[in-house]
Amino acid sequence: MASWRLGVSVLTFYVLRFTLRPTRLRLTRFTGIWYAGATVFRIPQYRKHLLIMLAPYILGLSGLVLLPTLMTAPIAFVDFDALSPPRPVGLDNFREMRRDDQFWNGLKASLILLLIAVPLRVCGALLLALLLRARQWGFGFFRGVAYLPTIIPDVAYALVWLYIFNPLYGPLNSISQMFASGAENELMPAGAPPGIWLTDPRAAQVAIMLMLMFTVGEGFVLLLAGLHEIPGDIYDAAALDGASGFDQVTRITLPLLAPSLILLTVRDTIFVLEASFVAATIVTLGGPYYATSYLPFWIYQNVTDFQRFGYGAAMTWVLFAITLAVVAVQFWVARRWRGIQYA
Amino acid sequence: MPEDAIENLPDGLKPGPPEGWERAWWRPMNYGLAMLVVALFGVPLIWMIATSLRPLGMPPATQFEWLPPMLSLTNYPQLFRILEIGLFARNSVMVVLIAVPLTLLTASLAGFALAELGPRLRGILVTVSVIAMLVPAITLWITRFLVFKWVGILDTPMALIAPAIMGTSPLFVLMFAWAFQRLPRELIEQAMIDGASPWRVWWTLALPLVRPITLAVAILSAKYYWSDFISPLFYIQSQEFYTLPIGLQALQQMDRTNWPLLMAGSVLLTLPVLVVFILAQRYFFQEERQRGWLEQR
Repeated sequence: MASWRLGVSVLTFYVLRFTLRPTRLRLTRFTGIWYAGATVFRIPQYRKHLLIMLAPYILGLSGLVLLPTLMTAPIAFVDFDALSPPRPVGLDNFREMRRDDQFWNGLKASLILLLIAVPLRVCGALLLALLLRARQWGFGFFRGVAYLPTIIPDVAYALVWLYIFNPLYGPLNSISQMFASGAENELMPAGAPPGIWLTDPRAAQVAIMLMLMFTVGEGFVLLLAGLHEIPGDIYDAAALDGASGFDQVTRITLPLLAPSLILLTVRDTIFVLEASFVAATIVTLGGPYYATSYLPFWIYQNVTDFQRFGYGAAMTWVLFAITLAVVAVQFWVARRWRGIQYA
Repeated sequence: MPEDAIENLPDGLKPGPPEGWERAWWRPMNYGLAMLVVALFGVPLIWMIATSLRPLGMPPATQFEWLPPMLSLTNYPQLFRILEIGLFARNSVMVVLIAVPLTLLTASLAGFALAELGPRLRGILVTVSVIAMLVPAITLWITRFLVFKWVGILDTPMALIAPAIMGTSPLFVLMFAWAFQRLPRELIEQAMIDGASPWRVWWTLALPLVRPITLAVAILSAKYYWSDFISPLFYIQSQEFYTLPIGLQALQQMDRTNWPLLMAGSVLLTLPVLVVFILAQRYFFQEERQRGWLEQR
């Protein structure tokens, strides 16, 4: 019959077409050694081995980062305590969020923290890098010391600051009292109001920003490397043209450092949110009067103390969206700023 | 006037300002300012160590002091007496000892594969890695908890080690990938012609050539696992699996105002990191750059 012959020939045609396709089209240069456009030597299954090498990373990345990120979305729409099966509640979690004063309070505190601490940290790292970049005697040691607060583990670092802020025995308070005059007694020296650091809401927020200001080591190293990449000839040329030191920094250093600065700002945004959680957990316990119960801390309380995974996931969603928005704004500002620089 | 004629003029006659005149006043000021700032940054650690040396049972200081009037190490044995710090420290060390080699293994393998794969696949994977790097850890806490619960490793040390299978952070994988990509292409092709399998190229050729990166990843990941506070806080409940940071928090909750003791615990937690940092400091600031034929690419 003609029909099956036709079928076989069509099939054969396609089979041949795909199997006899010039193999080099499907190979990358990494599957073998190329010479003059032809594969002269092929490592058997080189690519397969590479994919096996990659497998743990891909597996881990999807299991520990990608999947958890995506899973947050459906969990936000259920009521789930990790014991009984999840109960779908639609948008209830988000509705509750609207009425939840704690949520708004945490959101406000987090945003204020981001708005103040991130620019201060980036500027601090930049100033530190500009100040300590010199290749003079002793500066290597200085750079090392400037990095020290960054290497102290989070808990130990938070405990040290809890001690520093202590109203009775903390060094910060003793110092402020050395400068204050007035009658003193053994236990509670009079003078400057003792211990306002962690008992006044506003002061506690400032205290946490202060303790975040010291851990700029990573940004410092990044910017230091960036500064060393800038060739010295540019500065010499600028100096020859009569540019002052300030002009050199604003017209040469900053624009050339822009990529590092953008990277650093984005990284710092994420870092500050995380560091604020450790600080709130150990130093202030979210207080006083919930002044420092930042959004991550409130999420943590909901999940561990109240076992409310659904509500926590919904808030995580909001936090994630806000982080993304903040990062997007940073990129936008950076692009505009660079546009102005090069215009 | 020819150039060198100007150069040879005595200082006072040279046109323009004298050489380095703007630096002359700035240099000592720069030095002083740097010392001041650096002193500020050293202070938290100094206070931590100084306070930890206050003898056990001595009343707390009411006035500012740099060092307690008497120095002693009595707080350190006391730590081990009131809490199972030894056990916590052993847990921490075990986590670091398992997680760091695992991180090095997976990160360097993935980095090697990334460097060797075709540009298209590499582009996709690098993009995914960078996006994964931008995901704030906070957004992962809840769902990681559920994933660990589902896999059944919640409340075991496995939950603390788990990030090691993805090389701890995509950054470490990318660090390896960039280092491997800088290696001379011919070298790897030559090894392949000689019949080496990719595994062998990775182990005997590529890894020894990127030793500084291996060291950096080892240090950074060791610091991460040693000082990780959030993972054990979320994923560990049994006291037998507590790590040192959580032990320190427990100590704080037991005895809130015993500052010398708390600072002694903090010093105990900080000291290993400090020692490693001091030993590896020159790599951190890239004062010893990798020079020679590796840099040509």
